[in-house]
Amino acid sequence: MIDFQNVTKDYDNQTAIRDVSFSAGKGEMIFLTGPSGSGKSTLLKLIYLAERPDNGEIIIDGFETSNIRESSIPLVRRKIGIVFQDFRLLENRTVFENIALALRIRGVSERETKSRAYDALKTVNLRHKSDSYPKTLSGGEQQRVVIARAIVPEPAILLADEPTGNLDPDTAEGVARIFKDIHAKGTTILIATHNRDLYKNTGKRVLRLDSGNLTGEGLG
Amino acid sequence: MITPYALKLAIQSLLKEKWINLLSVLTIAAGLLIISISFLVLYNIDIATKRLPEKFSMTVYLDNSLQRDRLDSVIDSFKKRKAVLSVKYISKDEAIRELKSSLKNSDYILEGLEENPLPASLEIKLREDDVRAETAQQLAGEALKIKGVTEVDYGDKFLSTLNTIKKGFKAIGLVFVAILSTGIIFVCYSTVKILFYRRTEEIETFKLLGATKGFIRTPFIIEGAVIGACGGLLSLAGCFFFYYALLMRLSINMPVFKSVLFPANLFMPLPVIGMLLGITGATIALGRLKY
Repeated sequence: MIDFQNVTKDYDNQTAIRDVSFSAGKGEMIFLTGPSGSGKSTLLKLIYLAERPDNGEIIIDGFETSNIRESSIPLVRRKIGIVFQDFRLLENRTVFENIALALRIRGVSERETKSRAYDALKTVNLRHKSDSYPKTLSGGEQQRVVIARAIVPEPAILLADEPTGNLDPDTAEGVARIFKDIHAKGTTILIATHNRDLYKNTGKRVLRLDSGNLTGEGLG
Repeated sequence: MITPYALKLAIQSLLKEKWINLLSVLTIAAGLLIISISFLVLYNIDIATKRLPEKFSMTVYLDNSLQRDRLDSVIDSFKKRKAVLSVKYISKDEAIRELKSSLKNSDYILEGLEENPLPASLEIKLREDDVRAETAQQLAGEALKIKGVTEVDYGDKFLSTLNTIKKGFKAIGLVFVAILSTGIIFVCYSTVKILFYRRTEEIETFKLLGATKGFIRTPFIIEGAVIGACGGLLSLAGCFFFYYALLMRLSINMPVFKSVLFPANLFMPLPVIGMLLGITGATIALGRLKY
């Protein structure tokens, strides 16, 4: 599903990712860990094509992304649900509108959009907040809206960048449970986190990044 | 593709950015109104110049010795030509009678004449579309080759002046329309560009969620179309106001304005023209933006 082969990414002569190779199979759940600035976010950005590698090959669900045409990028992104670290919620749209956007972009009918968006809101326990605006929600609630927006199109791959970064332990546990449920449905999940509690005792693969290098791999 | 959601986004943006949009609509309306008024002036000038050819005629002077049967064949040869509308024979007697009547009280100057010095002639009127210096010149050249024709007078200076006036006004009109249309396109272009920049963050999120360029572009093109169409509609209202509330009132004291023609049906496509200019501006803006 995700295949990195000797991928390197530099920013102004500073290496963010160096010669990283790994694969994630269909339905696999992988945690990406490491200190701040170790390259976790860059690695996720390379997957959702917000960045392009300077060297190496990245294959996403059969798409070789190094030489991908501009017009094909949306097709790859539609296979991916993203939980952004900075949320990227549209402040002038309601919670429902934010979630529905992911479906409207994919051309889903209005009727289906409505029913699926409300289902996603139910999954993250925010059905009652559908008409609220993101600014009126707590950090944990906003995080759950972002998760709902990421999962509503039922993507093949789910990427999450520090999904529990600013959450209290109880809310973080709730978020972890949501990811477990989504994974149970067969979604490939890649979570970048430095929250050890999130992957501890999960038995899932944990990749460790340090200064852009893949320094270790183990089980959580 | 225009989806209900693209329409919704466009309407939301039109309402949210109402002041900048209103300013653009007014600018476009002003531009189209100036074009329309210029068109009205050109239209009336064109109508006036079209009436002039009705008065235009060629005079073919005939040899005094021309026999009746030969005269008929000369008349027939002119009538057969496509450019000729009518041929009227003016005999020597008729010619002197016309001269006398035109001289009125001054006809004494003809008293000393022992014989009629005027030749018989043919008055040839051309079809409206053929009243051109080239056609008249060609016909005159051919007429001079006919036996019995001594001279041809076809008002070449009048024709070339008329043509120059027509061409001049057409050229000025075209340049004017081109400049103002470009201005209108530029207004739409700038408006869409500003609207786009104000939504950069939102567009970035759209892209990351998998939106295609078409999905991102469509609402802006709809906005350009609506802004242009509203400008066109306003200019249409302006045209009617200009004619009925301004010109017609002025004509009460200045009757010259009464003769101004107002081809209302020709102004009806203004909203569509505005819309097309708006779409063009928006398309150019989106084509030049990197996103």
